[in-house]
Amino acid sequence: MIRLSKVTHAYGDVPVIEDVSLSVDPGEVVGIIGPSGVGKTTLLRILALFVRPRDGTVELDGESVWSVEEGERLALRRRIGMVFQESSLFDATVARNVEYGLRVRQGWTDRLREQLRSIAGRNGSWDAVDEALDLVGLEDKVDQSARSLSGGEAQRVSFARALAYEPTYLMLDEPTSDLDPRNTGLIEEAIQEARDRGIGVVVATHDMHQAERIADRVGVLLGDGLTEIGPTETIFENPTDERTRKFISGELVY
Amino acid sequence: MSLEAVAQSLPALVDLPFREGYVTSIIYVSLYVSVVAVTLSTLFSIPVALAMGFTDFPGKQFVKSVINTGMGFPSVVVGLLVLFTVSNQGPLGELELIFTREAMIISQFVLATPPITAISLAAITGVSDNVREAARALGGTRLDVALVVIKEARYGIGTAVLAGFGRAISEVGSVLIVGGNITSSQGISKTRTLTTAIQLEARQGQYETAMILGAVLVAIVLVVNGIVVRIGDTGPMDR
Repeated sequence: MIRLSKVTHAYGDVPVIEDVSLSVDPGEVVGIIGPSGVGKTTLLRILALFVRPRDGTVELDGESVWSVEEGERLALRRRIGMVFQESSLFDATVARNVEYGLRVRQGWTDRLREQLRSIAGRNGSWDAVDEALDLVGLEDKVDQSARSLSGGEAQRVSFARALAYEPTYLMLDEPTSDLDPRNTGLIEEAIQEARDRGIGVVVATHDMHQAERIADRVGVLLGDGLTEIGPTETIFENPTDERTRKFISGELVY
Repeated sequence: MSLEAVAQSLPALVDLPFREGYVTSIIYVSLYVSVVAVTLSTLFSIPVALAMGFTDFPGKQFVKSVINTGMGFPSVVVGLLVLFTVSNQGPLGELELIFTREAMIISQFVLATPPITAISLAAITGVSDNVREAARALGGTRLDVALVVIKEARYGIGTAVLAGFGRAISEVGSVLIVGGNITSSQGISKTRTLTTAIQLEARQGQYETAMILGAVLVAIVLVVNGIVVRIGDTGPMDR
């Protein structure tokens, strides 16, 4: 379980996240909804162990992440995947992109051997790469240049890239914000598949309908922190917090 | 193929207005000095560019300004400074490098380093932050992230190296000062390069020889520029 306790963060003097407590279990999808600029990305980066919060604790399976040595923290970080809002594929083939997470987990001797094989034109293939691409419906693009992909395909490859090394948790920052309905549907299916595989998924989105469709639990992040978190149906049908209710009903406009 | 073999194969010339071996020895010296200087310069410049691209430190802008100024530094002044350094009274006087290829390599190293560093730095800092973050998010260590950045910037770094080579091989002022434009009694180049030979032949009224040497130099520079343009386009994908 990833657990944030009373986490606060700021950029300079500007507070972004205030007093947020949240936990994510393997095998569940947690949606974080809220308007733009309230700190959804920052919250995800804290959950992905990218950013050390100013205050509060971050635990992964009971281990206080920011109290351990850097090497140990790298091992913890490697259990979490993250997909960014903007495409961040490397200038290489789709296969090279998707296998990256697997390669960096290898020892240097194995990596050197792989490299020599690649230079000699004998490329090994990773089952996990084919499987991850299959999940996002791009198994036929394996040898294509990542540069030649459409925006939707690139985002699906980013998703496959994060899934290939089988993380325990997956952080998705607005994964479908620039996508057409077909690609959005494919990503949402892949999210459900990841959950079925036991991966804990956190999706930050400004699309409330998407959160309602895919999340088991939803957290509402408004200007001054997480106003409410609970089962999706409760948050959308019967929120207890007044600001949450106004935000869901569209009365609270940012 | 050795540099000497390359030099031998370059001029397919018949009835030349100069002694046998003259042009090939000049091409050899030119290529030898420039290739060694640019190799050393690359080994120095890329780590510097990486360190500057990955870290912030006080005075970074100043260092950048010094590198950029170095790109436009007059080569004759560099030659003069290297001459003082390797002359008998200079700090490297004991090594007796004056009028040697090694002294020419030092001056070309000084000339090629600023463009190679500056262009590599621009290529490295031009790699999107998203790519760096992705490498980290996928479990990369700092070294992994650095390797990804080098790979993303590979065309820019390649361009930097070839631009440095272009500057080195076309340069005349400093190699003339520190090399002395010397040939053996048999007319074989010791420190004479294409550029210094052209200058000398033209001054002596040997325009035909100067033109032939000029054509060889232009051909080498064209090939190098062709490679720069080629790698500036989309490079080969690797799996």
